[in-house]
Amino acid sequence: MDLRGKSCKITWLEKFIWGRVKIMLEVQKIDVFYGEIQILKEVSLRVNNGEFVVLLGPNGHGKSTLLKTICGLHPVESGNINFCGSSIIGLSPQKIVASGLIYVAEDRHLFPEMTVMENLKLGAYNFRARDKIDESFDFVFQLFPRLGERKKQLASTLSGGESQMLALGRGIMSCAKFMAIDEPSLGLSPLLRADVFEKITLINKNGIGILLVEQNIERVAAFSDRVYLMEDGKIVFAGTADDALKNKHLKEVLLGIS
Amino acid sequence: MRIDREIIILLVILSILAFSPLFFHDNPYVLHFLIMCLIWSSVVAAWDLIVGYAGIFSFGQLAFFTIGAYAAGMASLYLGLSPWLGILAGGLLAGLVGVLLGVACLNLKGVYMALVTFGLHLVLAPLLTLGRPIGTGGSRGLLGIPELELGGYCFSALEKVPWFYTILVISFLSFFFIFFITRSSYGLAFRSLRDAEPFARSLGVNGYKYKVVVFGISAFITGIIGAFYAFYVSSVSPRMLGLDTFLMVMIMLIIGGVGRFPRVLAGVLFISLLNEFLRPVEQFRSLIFGAVVIFSIILMPQGLIAFFENKFFQRKKNLAGGKKKLKDTQL
Amino acid sequence: MHTLLEILIGGIANSSLYAVMAIGLALVYGISKVFNWAYGSFFTWGAYIAWFLCVGSFQFGYTIAFIVVIPVMFLLGLSVEKIIIRPLRRQKGWEINTMMATLGLALFLDSLARLCFGPYMKSLPLFLEKNIQLGSFVIGLHEIIMFLTSIIMIILLEVFLQKTWTGMCMRAVSQDKIGARMVGIPANKMFGYAFGMSASFVGIAGILLSPKYFITPGGGWDVLIKSYVIIAFGGVGSMKGTLYGAFILGIMESFIVYQFGSMWVMIFWFTTLLGTLIIRPKGLLGTWE
Repeated sequence: MDLRGKSCKITWLEKFIWGRVKIMLEVQKIDVFYGEIQILKEVSLRVNNGEFVVLLGPNGHGKSTLLKTICGLHPVESGNINFCGSSIIGLSPQKIVASGLIYVAEDRHLFPEMTVMENLKLGAYNFRARDKIDESFDFVFQLFPRLGERKKQLASTLSGGESQMLALGRGIMSCAKFMAIDEPSLGLSPLLRADVFEKITLINKNGIGILLVEQNIERVAAFSDRVYLMEDGKIVFAGTADDALKNKHLKEVLLGIS
Repeated sequence: MRIDREIIILLVILSILAFSPLFFHDNPYVLHFLIMCLIWSSVVAAWDLIVGYAGIFSFGQLAFFTIGAYAAGMASLYLGLSPWLGILAGGLLAGLVGVLLGVACLNLKGVYMALVTFGLHLVLAPLLTLGRPIGTGGSRGLLGIPELELGGYCFSALEKVPWFYTILVISFLSFFFIFFITRSSYGLAFRSLRDAEPFARSLGVNGYKYKVVVFGISAFITGIIGAFYAFYVSSVSPRMLGLDTFLMVMIMLIIGGVGRFPRVLAGVLFISLLNEFLRPVEQFRSLIFGAVVIFSIILMPQGLIAFFENKFFQRKKNLAGGKKKLKDTQL
Repeated sequence: MHTLLEILIGGIANSSLYAVMAIGLALVYGISKVFNWAYGSFFTWGAYIAWFLCVGSFQFGYTIAFIVVIPVMFLLGLSVEKIIIRPLRRQKGWEINTMMATLGLALFLDSLARLCFGPYMKSLPLFLEKNIQLGSFVIGLHEIIMFLTSIIMIILLEVFLQKTWTGMCMRAVSQDKIGARMVGIPANKMFGYAFGMSASFVGIAGILLSPKYFITPGGGWDVLIKSYVIIAFGGVGSMKGTLYGAFILGIMESFIVYQFGSMWVMIFWFTTLLGTLIIRPKGLLGTWE
């Protein structure tokens, strides 16, 4: 189901180029520190065009830091990150968003005193997205009808599930080709959780690459293309979700803490 | 209690100073310089206690100084109190105001604290000017404050050496007191409140009590010094509250390095020397001071000594091949 | 009765500019979270530039003063943010460091003003010398201009913040800096604009208030304190509160000056501050802290 209007469709030129460049996001052996403490140790991962990749692992082992680093919110000590072929190390978050990569944080960071409409509008701040703002609005409201009912409501008055929808919607408004999403299901009821994953899958089906951070593999096994497992700041497993479930050690790690 | 290297250096310096009148006894200029250095050292040390150790952005230090000075001067002039008692009175009154200020500011943080305490400073000048009827001497201040006496000997403005030894002793006592506090459980409480207030509170540290206490102590010490100053120059006036003086003392604190007693005293020396060098260009002094403040905060946020320390250690690190840092991304 | 009305009108005119000043300070603090201690010095410089253009060497009219002061002050604010504040923001303990740096800047700017213009008071002529006759009492046209200019500026600011992209970005940055960065908003630029705009605001207040009160190199401190007390009284984070605070306190100040003399003014403001802190720390309509 392609819910986006004509203007947001990928142009033939982009398709041509992307057809050649299969890798959308490539993280190459990055080391990341918080002061003197090393959080990420030679982490490498890859998301191909249009893939839905999940990053699993216990809490506090660096998953969120990895996302923050990819999105330019945290410096890299060594290593490289390529997005659509060019390096994004050292770029400001503004430039990274402009190149099509958007981050939806665990803490959401919505603008509390602004309405749903204003939050969404600001999502389209970057110049690429401003021309397509109306189509983006349509897409978001078709995906999240509840948001459509609450256009004038202040973000601080939304429920947990609604704020998550708004956070995702705001990310979509940026006309991003790639979304890095950090634990969207945190704090939500099982019903809402399933809903959120379904919506993210829909977003992915529209050609947007997804890197999703999650704790529990069972929830995401059905629709992820590949998974990575991170422990102690290192990638300890890379493969499909089925492979992960077949691996005994992983099963302990992943299901033991669900 | 740990006695670290810096304290020993300080004690050595003070001992050397104790002998200096032997060399300078006929050079009142140098003695005056040293006396002022010691005066500001104690004020800065007391200010460091409240800003550096307790993390409270109090800008009222000079107000306490002036209150101490006025109280002592007025007590001596009008009540005929012996000057030593006058000094004590100055300290006590300043301490009392400090405690009241602490109570008024119990729940304030950061900027708000700075603004209210600075408000005290700003409102004191008009109050003193308006206080002419109660004897504050209005905008001209009070002149002719009687001199200190010690066992029959009358201090005079001409003979600086007794003043010097007096302030040396007072400073030594202040430093000792402050050192003692910072290393005691009070000091620990102050620092815990500075670094992690909610956590400290959850452990039962009574933030309110310590806040009021540190205000009181800092104000008391500063008041004593202010009182001494009043006798030293035999006068008090609202001009003591000038912004340049305030900033001069503040920059002594910053350049010295907040929160590291006795390092902070290096700032006093540096700025006092700078002051002297700038005397020929008196009219540009404030201008240069303002610029110095800005530059030193940007370049040396941790203070003079720490700045040189870092440079020294950075060199060592580079030689050993430290971490390579890629271009910083904005945070 | 006449005098009472005159005092009231004077108070209202003053209050409107106090509102502008306070809102400028709230703007810079709310958005960049940096308290600009040199705010008063910006005020003084706005007034001095106007004096220089209108009374000093040249004899330009007021309009030129406005045309020059607004962009010049904006650039000043912008540069201060970029050169002084930004490097400090990266350090630990930037809150107190920026305070000390802006204090140093205040000293620097005040001393510079004293060097350039001398320590004695200067005055600007009134915008328009005319008065309006309403019934049996007289309102100065200058006061009307003060009031109208302030209202226009406040309305323009509100429209800017609500309807323009940059305005919305500035509001976003003040509400959630990280969220703003995530969305691609250049937070640093917004901080710079906030500084610049607040400088322009207070500069204009400087031009309009100076004909009534003289310009001195150290005169900006009263401005800073009054602005801050208004914000604290009206409630931090509430534009409406700041407006109410400005008018309530500004009018009260007029009466106090009339009744007790100008020496008591600062004591009045400080007492209000203490009272607010003790009785109702949140202020009238405060939304946070």
